[in-house]
Formats: sequence, structure tokens, C-alpha cells
Amino acid sequence: MKKIRIIIPILVVVLSFMSFKSLTESSKYKCMIQMTNYTGEGAYIVISLINPEGNYEKTLYVKGDDDEWYNTVESWWDFYGKRRTDLDAITGATISGGERAINVIEIDNDKLDKGYKLRFETAVEDQDYYTSDVEFDLTSQNVKSKIEGKGFIRYIRMMPQ
Amino acid sequence: MTISIWRFSHLILAILSSVFIILASVTGMILAFEPISNQFESYNINDDTTVATTIDNLSNRYDEILTIQTDENNFVVASVITNEGESDTFYINPETGKKIGSLIEKAPIFSFATNLHRSLFLKSTGRFIVGLVSFFLILMAFSGLILIVKRQGGIHRYFSKVINENFDQYYHVIFGRWLLIPILIVAFTGVYLSLEKFALLPETTISHKYPEMLTSEIDTTSIASFELFKTLKITDVKRLEFPFSEDIEDYFFITLKDKELLVNQYSGAIVSEQDYPLIKLLSQWSLILHTGQGTIFWSMVLFLVCVALLFFIYSGFAMTLKRRKKVGIPKNKFSKDTAEIVILVGSETGSTIGFATLFYNALLAHGKTVFIAEMNAYTTYKQAQQIVIFTATYGEGDSPINATKFINLTNQTPPNQPLEFSVLGFGSLLYPEYCKYAEVVDSHLATHKGFQQQLEVFKINNQSFNAFQTWIKQWSTANGLELIIKQPLETLNSKYTRQFKVVKRTNLNNDQTFMLQLKPTKKVKFQSGDLLAFRPNVNEAVRQYSVAKIGDDIVLSIKKHDMGLCSSYLSTLNIGDEISATVEHNREFHFPKSSTPVIMIANGTGIAPFLGMIHQNEAKSDIHLFVGLRKKTSFALYSGLLDQAIHDGKLKTSQMAYSQEGIEKVYVQDLLIKQTEFIAKHLEKGGVIMICGSIVMQNQVLDKLRHITSTTLNLSLRYFEDNQQVKLDCY
Repeated sequence: MKKIRIIIPILVVVLSFMSFKSLTESSKYKCMIQMTNYTGEGAYIVISLINPEGNYEKTLYVKGDDDEWYNTVESWWDFYGKRRTDLDAITGATISGGERAINVIEIDNDKLDKGYKLRFETAVEDQDYYTSDVEFDLTSQNVKSKIEGKGFIRYIRMMPQ
Repeated sequence: MTISIWRFSHLILAILSSVFIILASVTGMILAFEPISNQFESYNINDDTTVATTIDNLSNRYDEILTIQTDENNFVVASVITNEGESDTFYINPETGKKIGSLIEKAPIFSFATNLHRSLFLKSTGRFIVGLVSFFLILMAFSGLILIVKRQGGIHRYFSKVINENFDQYYHVIFGRWLLIPILIVAFTGVYLSLEKFALLPETTISHKYPEMLTSEIDTTSIASFELFKTLKITDVKRLEFPFSEDIEDYFFITLKDKELLVNQYSGAIVSEQDYPLIKLLSQWSLILHTGQGTIFWSMVLFLVCVALLFFIYSGFAMTLKRRKKVGIPKNKFSKDTAEIVILVGSETGSTIGFATLFYNALLAHGKTVFIAEMNAYTTYKQAQQIVIFTATYGEGDSPINATKFINLTNQTPPNQPLEFSVLGFGSLLYPEYCKYAEVVDSHLATHKGFQQQLEVFKINNQSFNAFQTWIKQWSTANGLELIIKQPLETLNSKYTRQFKVVKRTNLNNDQTFMLQLKPTKKVKFQSGDLLAFRPNVNEAVRQYSVAKIGDDIVLSIKKHDMGLCSSYLSTLNIGDEISATVEHNREFHFPKSSTPVIMIANGTGIAPFLGMIHQNEAKSDIHLFVGLRKKTSFALYSGLLDQAIHDGKLKTSQMAYSQEGIEKVYVQDLLIKQTEFIAKHLEKGGVIMICGSIVMQNQVLDKLRHITSTTLNLSLRYFEDNQQVKLDCY
């Protein structure tokens, strides 16, 4: 019993420290993707966090909920395909030509202004695949701006929540 | 055998696309249930809610609204950022803004079926194949339409009665003409959607003009009080996108059914309005019509189309196979220049060839030299003395496909020596131009110098074998031959085959006629006017008798023929004997259901079905009976039943004509002429005329009826035939 009396306060301290830590260290951003007027199927879009070494660090959002097509997003598939982390919370429907979608993505604050990048990869069934349709440095300036796309994406806009 | 270009293309397209159509139909049947199952979810909402109400309530519940949509099932979907900062999408009640359910996930079976349906899991290649097959389906629908119009004898007869020659053909035509429009819709929209996917439709982008805005122009009105939002109903909005930020240059973007709007987020003013081009609206309609989304009724229609397509493939190929079996003109034993008799055949579907072949074989068996060919193969024949023509009629009195050139050929190549000719026409009285082409050929040859008529043109209704026998007799007499033609064996439909016990048999009367009453040992459904098919032994052809239903028993009136195996056998049956026979339903010759007045005309044993109908006339419809018999004593067989019926009020009047009584021969048709006024009135007020008996009598009676309608009513009998007021069962 004595031991438990000691353990509980320690646990409380540790847990509250941990939760405090996670609260302070990430922020939510509203992110809008506006597609070009292409014709055809809805696009699979993956938003990833790229570390300063240029490697995938984390998957932030996946637009497209049928995993049989995930391998068409080739570069990301090399990273994700091996691990198959749980994507349920960060998955939405595909969007087609001319449409827009707004999602909320969560990024750790300590990744800001540290050489990390955000990458938007797009693939459309039977059409093209763009490894970096949109890619930009994760700076506090960029997370509240509008960035043009090179492929199926016309532009994306970000805004801190 | 040559077949028409329409039938040929109909068939070729079917062969090319059948496998894909089967796949598309089966998956289509599954997919038809997607809109139906979605409609059973109760997210349907009040149609009158305005956008303002929804926005107002929704913004009270959530931090931020991103989009509001009305989906294809008419459910309202909101995409919001919750007070916890998470984005979420769900169905709402637009009146209260309350979440009422999570999005319906597409069931795996539907995803699978969708994929197979539109691309066969072959991506672009599959899409292309499916699009092409849809296009083939359009072509098949058109060639099918033309075939129906031709077979029915004109577009105005598109919906007239179809002759039930066999199950496959009958229902192929019946379903075909009813489902033509839905099938065309499915095929057209399928093609349209494919063209859209391959970006083959004309490019149509609409672009909005974004006005220059000055911050000073901002006049702030609350969103819920925008005039537009107060009048716009949520069900009319396909999609409403909220401005991304509070920047004046971010707008509300609204998609309606037929246009897009940009709305200033502060003033509520419409700053840009763009109507959708036709191409885009057609795409929307194609999708709705092809998938049935949002309507249970149309989904059911689409389901039926899928079932029907499967049936068409089955019945179409079944017909083709049957036709292939019977179409061949037999191989000739003699060359065209050594034969004394030449048989020429004009046939559209091949059934006429069957009769010509029987005739050909019978002649060969008699040691005659015969040559048989299609009518289009007409040429000169060195040794020929006579030419016999068997021909059907196509559509509105046209020649069948393999006889198109015949008349020209006879003009270009007259015979070297005078030829005798006889024409035998095959057709159906249900068509207005009954055996018309046979008449055309007959009158053409009759005026042709090189030909002499041996027998008058003879017409055969609905491939009646008995009528064919009658002609064979005429021809045999004219040529001093004793041709014997055996009817090919048919299989009896065993589902209606029963054991029957003899309950009663009368003795032969002076006409060699007797009545036989049979009780089925196991229940069988039948009515007076149906047929009982009986085969005395396995090697014999089937003989059919029109039945009367008296109680649950079958009553037959049979004339014993000295050479008739069947009638002789039946005439020797004793009470308690059992025979096996098959009931064949003859819907064309049933007593009308409503209380329509009926005139019944019969000769000889043709009276049988009428005895049953009169007996069962509990509703006491007006029935008038005209019967032709040989002698007064012939009547004794029926007098008991008929007197009782008059007494019970089931039979209004009856009149007899006796052909062998006294000096003057009176036939049943002679009675009709005396009743001209009565018959005309009867037809005019919608009464039905039923005729049962011999073919000769039928033709005479129809002649008299034609005379009556044209002189008294100034209408052709055809008018009443089309109106189902004339029913025939003659042999």
C-alpha cells in the first residue's frame, strides 16, 4: 500500500507532464486544396511531413479511402507500404477536378522553421502521378499562405486554427 | 439461308457483346439495390428548410462550417470543424443542425460491382470495352425496333398482338417492345458517361469573374439574414462552400442544379452567376438515369432492364440455335435440269422450309424427280413441268428475304417451256396482310405468259398441319398421285401430361361422331377452349382436340375417321379405361372474362369447346350459338346439354344449319347472312365472335363477316380482329 501511495503521485506528475508537453507542442492548421479542372476520376492526395534529410517523417493526411489504390502514390507508398500505420483518423474522400476540400491537419510546433517540408503528392487513376504537386518549406510564414500546385492541384491555402 | 441485314446485325452485335452484357447486367442488378438500400436509411428531411435556418442552427453547434451538401439521396451532409478543432463530416437534420448519422459507407459488394460494371477491373481498357458495348446495345435496340416494326407490319401496329409461336421468340418480342425505351436510356447514358470519362465531350469550363474589392466597401450583414439564404431551400443546393478565411476575397461558393454562384461573405450579394452548359447538365442526368440514385422506382426499372437483358441473351441465342437446326433447304438429289417438279421456297425464319421439305421428301418417296431451291435462286429448268411455290410473307405484304428478287427474275428469265404453277402461302390471320405475298406471286404468275395456274393460291394459318394436309390432298388429286405426308413428332409438354379415366362414351351417331368424357386422375388446370393433345402410340403424330370443361371433367366431341388411328382408338374406349394425354393451354380461345356478349359459330365437332363455355356461363352473358351439322339426327348428341342451357338462361339463342337435310344445303355461314343486322350491332357494341371448326368453314365465315362489316358498318373486319373481338380455333 505504501508503495502505491508513492507511485500514484509520481504517475500523476509524469502523465500531466506528458500531456502538457503534447498540448504545447502541436498546432492545428486549416488546409484547403483547390483542384484544377481536369476530367476523370477523383485524385488520391497524400500530405506528408518531410524531414531536413529529405525523407518521409510522418503522414499528415490522405485523401482517398480505398487502400487498393494507395500504391499509385508511388513515392509515399515506399515509405508507408512497409509500415502500414493506422490512417483512419486522417483519411477523407477523394476530390475531383474543379473541386476544393478543406481539412484540418496537425503539425508539431518544433518542426516549424527547422528545415522540414510539407509535400502534397497526387495520383489519378489511369492518368498522371506527381511526386511533389505542392512542396514547400514548413515555415511560420508559409503556414498562413497560398501556394500554387504543379499538377492536379491548382493551389493550396493554409491557415492556423 | 440468307437472313435480313437487320437480323444479321442484331445477331452479330449480340455475339460480340454477350459476355460483357451478361457481366454488366449481373453487376447492374446488384448495383440497382444501392440506391434502394440508401433510400431506406431515414436521413430524409423536410424539403422546405431554408439555407439560412440550417446555417444558423449549424453555426450554433460548431466552431466553423466548411461545406453543406445535399447528396444524391437527398440527405444533407455537413462538413464542419468541431469545437475541439477536429474536422468531421456527417448527416444533419437541416432544420435543427443536429448530427443524425455518420456517412453511409459504400458496402464492399457495391464497390466490387461498380468496378466490374464500369471497367471489368481492367482500368482504361475495360472502360473502353464497356463504353463500346453500351454503344452496341444502342445499335441492337435500334435493329430490334426495326425487326419488331417489320414483323408487326408497320409502326402503328407496334403494340398489336404478337403471335405466340414459341416461348423464346414470343417473350423476346414482348419484353423487347416494352423495355425498348429504358434500354435505350441505359445504353445512351452509359455511352455518355464513358465519353465523359475519356474526356471526349466538348470542353466546357465555366469561370467566374472575381470583382476588385475595397475594404471600405464592407458592409456587414449577418449570414443568416442574407436575402439569398432566406429564400433558397437547402434541397435545391447541391453544395455550399464556406469562405476559407475572413478575407473579403474569399466567397461563398454555391452549386445549384443548373448553375454556380459566388456570394460575398459580408454583404450576401451575388457577385458572379454562371449557368451550367448543356453538356454538364446532360452529364448530371446521365448519372442519375444510369444509376437510379435517389429514386426507388427508377432503380427498380433499371433492375428489370438488367434481368431483361439476360433474358434477351438467353432467348436470342436459343432462337438462333433452333433456327439453325431447321433452316437448311435439303440437299438436292437431282439437278435443276433433270427435275420434273421444282419447289421454290420463300421463308423469313425458316419454318416454311420445314413444310417444303416434307413435300419434297414425299415426292421423292413417290419416285418423282424433284428440285428444291430458294425463290431468289429461280432460273430456267429444262425438264420441269411444274413449279410449286411455298412462301411466307414478311411485314406489310413484302417478300421474305430469300424471295426478294423472284418477280424480277421471272420477268428477265421466262421459262423455256410453259410451266404449271401452284402457290402455297404461310402466314397468320393475326397480321393484316395475311399471306399477301403469296397472293402477289400468284397473280404475277397468272398473268405471266410462261406460267399456267394449276391450283388456286392456298393459305395456311399459323402453320396448321391439318390445313397443309388439305392442300396436299388437293394437289394429289390434281396430279393423280396419292401423296402421304406424316406429321413430324413433337414433344409434349410433360408438365401438363396426366392420366385420364374414361367416365362416359356415347355410341357413334349417324355422322360417326361420339362424345367422350374424361376425368383427370390428378388435378390439372384448364378451361373450355384449351386443347387436349393425344398420341395413340409413340410413333404417331400428336392429335389435338378442343375441350369442353364440364365440372372438372374434359368433354370431347370426336368424329371417327376410318383411317384415323387416333379417333378409332378413342372410339373403342370403355368406361374406366385410362389414357395419357396432355393439356395445352390455348389462351387465344378462352371465353371473355367480362360479361361481353358472345356469338359462337361452329361446325361439326367444333361445337365441343362451346358446350363447355355455355355450361359454365354462370354470369349469364348473352351467348348466341350458330352451328352447322350434317343432319337433324346429328344434333341429338348435343341437344340435351343445349336445351338445359337455354332453360337455365345460360344460352340466349341457338340456330342450326343442316347441310345434308332436304334439297337445299344450308351451311352455317348462310345463317349469318340472314342475321347481318344483328351481327353488325353485336360487333359495334364490342361483342366477341368465336369460331371453331374446319378451316373451310372458317374461311367461308370470315368472308361473310367481312362482307357484313364492310357493307353495314363501313369498317374492315380487321378493325375488330385487332380489337380482339374475333377468336379462332380451326383445323
